[in-house]
Amino acid sequence: MSRRLVGSVAATLVMVLAAGCGGSSGADGKVELSLGLFSDFGYDKLIEEYQASHPNIKIEQRKVKMEQHNTQLATQLAGGRGAADIVALEEGVVSQFRASKDKFVNLADYGAKDLKDQWAGWKWNQGTADNGEFVLGLGTDMGSLGLCYRRDLFEAAGLPTDRDAVAKLWPTWADYAKVADQFTAKTPNVKFVDTGRNVYKAILDQTEEGYFAKDDSYIADKNAAVKTAFDTAAALGTKQQTGALEPFSQDWNVALKQGSFATTTCPAWAMALIKAGAGDGAAGKWDVTTAPGGGGNWGGSFLAIPKQGKHPKEAYELAKWLTSPEQQKRIFKETGNLPSQPKVYQDAEVQATVNEYFNKAPVGKVFATSAESLKPTYRGTKDSKVTPIFNSALQRVEQGKQPAADAWTQALKEAQDAVK
Amino acid sequence: MKNAKAGPLLYGFLVAVLAASVFPLYYSFIVASKDNSVLGEKVPPLVPGGNLVENITRVFDTVDFWLAMQNSFIVAATVAISNVVLGTLAGFAFARLRFKGRDSLFIVVLGTAMVPTQLGVIPLYMLMSDLDWYGTLQAVIVPALIGSFAVFWMRQACEETVPYELIEAARVDGCSVLRTFWHVGFPAVRPQAAVLGMFTFMTAWNDFFWPLIVLDPNDSPTVQVALSSLASGYYTDYSLMLAGASLAVLPVIAIFVLLSRQIVGGIMQGAVKG
Amino acid sequence: MTAVSTKTEAAQAASVPSSPEPKRFWLSGWDARYTPYLIIAPFFLVFGIFGLYPLVYTAWVSLHDWQLIDGNQGFVGLANYVELFGDAKFWNALFNTLSLFVLSTVPQLLAALGLAALLDRGLRGSAFWRAGVLLPNVISVAAVALVFAQFFGRDFGIVNFLLGFVGIDPIDWRAETWASHLAVSTMVMWRWTGYNSLLYLAAMQSVPKDMYESATLDGASRWRMFWAITVPSIRPTILFTVVTSTIGGLQLFAEPALFDPGFAANNSSGGSDRQFQTLVMYMYEKGFRLFDAGYSATIAWMLFVVVLLVAVVNFTLTRRIAGKG
Repeated sequence: MSRRLVGSVAATLVMVLAAGCGGSSGADGKVELSLGLFSDFGYDKLIEEYQASHPNIKIEQRKVKMEQHNTQLATQLAGGRGAADIVALEEGVVSQFRASKDKFVNLADYGAKDLKDQWAGWKWNQGTADNGEFVLGLGTDMGSLGLCYRRDLFEAAGLPTDRDAVAKLWPTWADYAKVADQFTAKTPNVKFVDTGRNVYKAILDQTEEGYFAKDDSYIADKNAAVKTAFDTAAALGTKQQTGALEPFSQDWNVALKQGSFATTTCPAWAMALIKAGAGDGAAGKWDVTTAPGGGGNWGGSFLAIPKQGKHPKEAYELAKWLTSPEQQKRIFKETGNLPSQPKVYQDAEVQATVNEYFNKAPVGKVFATSAESLKPTYRGTKDSKVTPIFNSALQRVEQGKQPAADAWTQALKEAQDAVK
Repeated sequence: MKNAKAGPLLYGFLVAVLAASVFPLYYSFIVASKDNSVLGEKVPPLVPGGNLVENITRVFDTVDFWLAMQNSFIVAATVAISNVVLGTLAGFAFARLRFKGRDSLFIVVLGTAMVPTQLGVIPLYMLMSDLDWYGTLQAVIVPALIGSFAVFWMRQACEETVPYELIEAARVDGCSVLRTFWHVGFPAVRPQAAVLGMFTFMTAWNDFFWPLIVLDPNDSPTVQVALSSLASGYYTDYSLMLAGASLAVLPVIAIFVLLSRQIVGGIMQGAVKG
Repeated sequence: MTAVSTKTEAAQAASVPSSPEPKRFWLSGWDARYTPYLIIAPFFLVFGIFGLYPLVYTAWVSLHDWQLIDGNQGFVGLANYVELFGDAKFWNALFNTLSLFVLSTVPQLLAALGLAALLDRGLRGSAFWRAGVLLPNVISVAAVALVFAQFFGRDFGIVNFLLGFVGIDPIDWRAETWASHLAVSTMVMWRWTGYNSLLYLAAMQSVPKDMYESATLDGASRWRMFWAITVPSIRPTILFTVVTSTIGGLQLFAEPALFDPGFAANNSSGGSDRQFQTLVMYMYEKGFRLFDAGYSATIAWMLFVVVLLVAVVNFTLTRRIAGKG
């Protein structure tokens, strides 16, 4: 009897297992394509439409957090299975995955090079390797950089509030630092900027070469541009003009709502975060203008196709369609994701877009200008290994744990270890 | 259970403990009943708002939460039942049966508990790929069918509560090993088995590291995978996510209430009956 | 209540036979001989496939220069281990792990023991109280992270607000080593005390009632009964929780990771100067962020050794302390 019991338990387990495990059944001979995404690419409607016009294709989206998306993708590439047919690669990690490009389909094999002129040159280059011979991914949106500021706090500090006048205050980052001093002198209890780390990033992203030279050699210890960027940001931290906040964290949200900082670097996508954090009460108080030192870009993604997928050709067709100018324009109108293609961001309709919340700022124009004047920085394959080291160093300065010079020395040492 | 009566002081203290335990859940509930902007308040809000229904509706619109609950239930229940059955059997064997190599084998069981769980993610993933289990619930269930915690805990329980006399009596009656286990061993350790079932159910229900890697968020999500899909946007919609998280707690509490009678249930009575 | 046998250390100490073990037990027959192996086989089967294989594989990986995505880049022998011993970040993570472990586990187990004793008294609605103390373990980690971020917020957190009343300046909980350790330990204690107290409670319920009755007749106080009867009776369970908390505590990952807002954003791993980075966090950083699977595997193996050592030490210590009761 007892043995029967064990047997029946085992049988139940097997049944439960069998019942619970549907798996992806190949529905009526259709080609099934999966899209591995994070955040909001705004593809829902487009996919319905694509399926309607391509009756033999069935598409599913997988959405997880960006960090998880990257971990999963790495595991799936390592395991040789399970990756989506099309995967999104964010600008910050694209160089890291580029190092393993043999795990991806070279989109040039499907004629991707013919599409090259659709994108801003720097955007196209970020998604390619081997001097453009290997096309890893097709660009989706971009994160053109502006500078967001609180009009009411500027007024209280006796600074101009008009966005053109504010832009004139800071042609360079050195000027920006001077404005910080003026601001702090008048209103010492409000921080000028949320975090020095983003200022640092913005400055660094405006240089042609950052931590790595274009031949991928490590030059952070020799490159004066890195040191200048670090010193500028660290000075803000030392003078306690920064909120020492982790960007987009819970503390950052509270600080936004409480109005405890006056400016923040503003990639296009961050405007939604500011609006969400600051809430309706701050409508019209925030505004956006051009960033010091010209344009910049932070974020934006690419669609790539892992080799392990079964339908690379169909996947390519879909990726090409999703990143085409027509669709980028639609996505911009629906979600505000900024197109990475000149033809689209120069479009009259896109240029005329204003953001109500940000005091009716002409965001279409501000971000298009920023994209135009962008001198893209070269990202080495080990960029994502080095970046957190310098960020942490700045954080230590902001937290008052270390003088700027010591933080810099420690960062150089750690970075040296990380790239060897 | 004991003769000592609990006084008001004790109840007062327990209420304080309970308040500390419940507060984060209550806070989740409050955020779930408002919108995201409350998170920016200096002083956390303590009174629920009126958006709970709306947020819960959005949870079901955004992800297939029923499927996720169903999957989580299958996973957690299977893992819990299997751990109780296999763990009690193995624990009984280690505690009350004599066989060659028993103690050294138990040391091995102990040793396996020391293996860091995150250690083997990559090879485990490759194994799952080879078995073609990616995106299926087996990938989460089978490795967890029996853990060292279950064997360890049930061995302890048997040592404490299963008297040799009863086993001997059962053997004299001509019972087989498994029959003896069923009539003498299992009834004696029922409360501990219920605790084990509860805990393994909870652990399996809340596990997210491995399921996030090996499950498909559309085809085979568990609750934790679905919750992470809820938080996948540029900014985290905490109201939405915590509405989901609050819902996810309910089944676990239900299981607890169901099992608590077992846990409380008398222990000596069970053993004597055998 | 002392175990008298020649069993091995661990197996012996974890057991308190309720009566002397009879010598002649099921000496004959297929059933008696093979059934025991049959019923412990599932554990070894599952562990062999899903535990041992990854363990051995990881050992193999640790002997190579191994990139997460690109795989094996060549055999390097013990080079990863040599590098690890000279790696200040490894020692830092080890120190943090041990510090967090001591700060959180010792008070947690003592509190759990006390709580269990209280729950063991004739309470009305006992299931209600038990469910209550277990709640922290049931709630999704995302909710936990959010609540604790608010509690330990630097500018607007409740803890700093309360400290302000007694004249203590606001503390930047994430910036300083000791402050961050204290905060993370609080989180760990909050999540796991109820869990352990229910384990103790389950054991306390099998302590024979008559032991308390005769002690009461002798006029013993409740405090004395607790130390003289309850604690010695549940000694094996205490040892059990010491071992499991050692294992869990040294593999601490979720709580410190959640406490670091920069972790999710890939900006930091355990604070600006790794002041609360644990070994598992370091392992995760190396493996999944820097894609250095070989080194990550090396950390994993060293962690395994550390857990083993600390578990044995704790086990022996606790046995000695609880054994005197």
